[in-house]
Amino acid sequence: MLKGIRNIVSKELKELLRDPRILVGMIIVPLVMFPLLGLVIQTSMESAERRLQTITVGVADFDKGEWSRNLTRYLSSSPNIILVEITATNLNEAVAHLQANPDATDLIVIPEGFSANISAHKQATVEIYSVFSGKGLTEGATSSIISQLLTRYNRYLAPDVFKAEANSIVKGQPIEIDPRALFQVMSSQVFVFPVTISILLVFAMQIAATSVASEKEEKTLETLLSLPIDRFTILLGKMTGSIVVATVGAVAYMVGFNYYMTSITSGLGSQVSVDLESLGLAPSLSSYLLLGGSLFVAILSALSLAVILSAFTEDVRSAQSYISYLYIIIMFPMFLVMFSDINTLPLALRIVAYAIPYTYPMLAAKAALTGEYLLASFGIVYVSVFTIILLYIAAKLFATEKILTAKLRIRGFRARILRIS
Amino acid sequence: MGFAVEAENLVKQFGEIRALDHLSFQVREREIYGLIGPNGAGKTTTIRIAATLISPTSGRMKVFGQDVVKEGAEVRKLITYLPEEAGAYKNLSGFEYLQFMGRFKAEDRSKVQTMVQDAAEISGLGDRLKDKAKTYSKGMKRRLLVARALMTKPRLAILDEPTSGLDVIHSFHVRGVIRKFVEQHGVTVLLSSHNMLEVEYLCNRVALINNGKIVAEGSPEELKKRLDVTNLEEGFAKVVGFA
Repeated sequence: MLKGIRNIVSKELKELLRDPRILVGMIIVPLVMFPLLGLVIQTSMESAERRLQTITVGVADFDKGEWSRNLTRYLSSSPNIILVEITATNLNEAVAHLQANPDATDLIVIPEGFSANISAHKQATVEIYSVFSGKGLTEGATSSIISQLLTRYNRYLAPDVFKAEANSIVKGQPIEIDPRALFQVMSSQVFVFPVTISILLVFAMQIAATSVASEKEEKTLETLLSLPIDRFTILLGKMTGSIVVATVGAVAYMVGFNYYMTSITSGLGSQVSVDLESLGLAPSLSSYLLLGGSLFVAILSALSLAVILSAFTEDVRSAQSYISYLYIIIMFPMFLVMFSDINTLPLALRIVAYAIPYTYPMLAAKAALTGEYLLASFGIVYVSVFTIILLYIAAKLFATEKILTAKLRIRGFRARILRIS
Repeated sequence: MGFAVEAENLVKQFGEIRALDHLSFQVREREIYGLIGPNGAGKTTTIRIAATLISPTSGRMKVFGQDVVKEGAEVRKLITYLPEEAGAYKNLSGFEYLQFMGRFKAEDRSKVQTMVQDAAEISGLGDRLKDKAKTYSKGMKRRLLVARALMTKPRLAILDEPTSGLDVIHSFHVRGVIRKFVEQHGVTVLLSSHNMLEVEYLCNRVALINNGKIVAEGSPEELKKRLDVTNLEEGFAKVVGFA
């Protein structure tokens, strides 16, 4: 039955990969754009980091007391601060002195009464003024560095009564890891997987729609359908070609995106070291298989949906435009899975989320964390049934003259199918 | 000698439009049979039914004894079809396109290669076959497609306006190739055309179609004699009543 599928797939791959819209738009641009963007951000972050290694700060001591001198000594002993002591009678004069030094980024003002307040166990105040000139990332960061130094000095004067340690409970077990650190590490599963799955599904849909619609646009479909090859084989050949190209596109996208993220995070530096495997949070072989199975049926259903829709169009442009209406059923579960727990949503929203087949591969990606293997397995069955129905419809369309004669017109909110001669 | 095509009471309805209205005709083996008629007469609909692309609303059509609806897959093994507005895959070279098409008719690599060589000769495109189809002119594309339709030496070649988009010289070349193929390889041809000169030159028999019905049928010479006209164009005008 599948005789000739290799020939069809080979043709599909050549046609699709040589199409500049796909080659450039889906493969080359993500591979070049994201690393380039990452490089730009990394370079600017490194430059900002270099600038922040030593900052020049002015200090105007209007108190001239014991504690203000103590604070000034503390600041001047800090290794990454060049402290410039400013002698002035008021704030404006101090600012004018500060501006005379082009490297100075901040001014610390110690008001009169600072030492007296501390000695009397009252709250004293220090003012920080940061120079704003719109020159980039370092402007806000310098005041943070000073705030951190001042907080440390504060703690030195009056240590905290107690310290709160943040820990996590993972799969019922208490673990001495800050939940924020854990979340940062787990963000690959929480964010990257749903985004990747969405991209893959969108790419696959676009490519399948392009593949069918371009046959119509280029007037090659009639010839193809008159060849001695099973119509279902043509359909499967087209879908296989689309899966391969969509996977290449998604991999290119994720390689580029990963480089971009690495560029940014390496710029930020990471203080987190969490062994996910020991916590039972690393994806196991079974969770990978579950994700693979879920993703495979979801892609097949997305492709079938795209083929069905594009069968009603006359050219690539209208196919792409109709396909874009379907993005909502991919994006909606993506955001839900990324930012919420579906089980806590209102009933109506929960029903909608579980009715959408594309929710399940995203849940399968989360299964390693949530342990909801049963739901992910149910999803495979549910999406498979949905896919079989869609494949049946797509095969019927390809087997009859409807693939040549059906046409979809959307005017306003009305959609109707017209048959033309 | 049997019939290559037998159409019996074909009716095709598109919504409220009746494209074919009880159309019947027979094409003998190894003959070139032409369908002539104005736009919307039903030529392409008839040809698309023969190519198994659409089904008649009623009536039936057989190709070498095989029903085009019930035995479509068998019919497709016997035919090649050249649509009027056909295109080629723009990102494939002419050679790649011919190889792709050839592989459906022959699994043996050497047979595919022979087909491609024949197609190269028929098309006369030479080295341009190495270029992608998107760089071809309309005429070059049509020559490639005609070559594709004939290279497999089908039992029935269904050609919808085979010289559409070709200039005088290339039209002449393609007509010569079609005739040569019928003589040398015993190919039967069912074609449609607007070009009366082409039909007179090529066809053994023709059917004049108007409003989905055959209004006259016979060899070009017979029709001219019967209708007392000097050419088919005049004859057609006389039959449909606008002369």
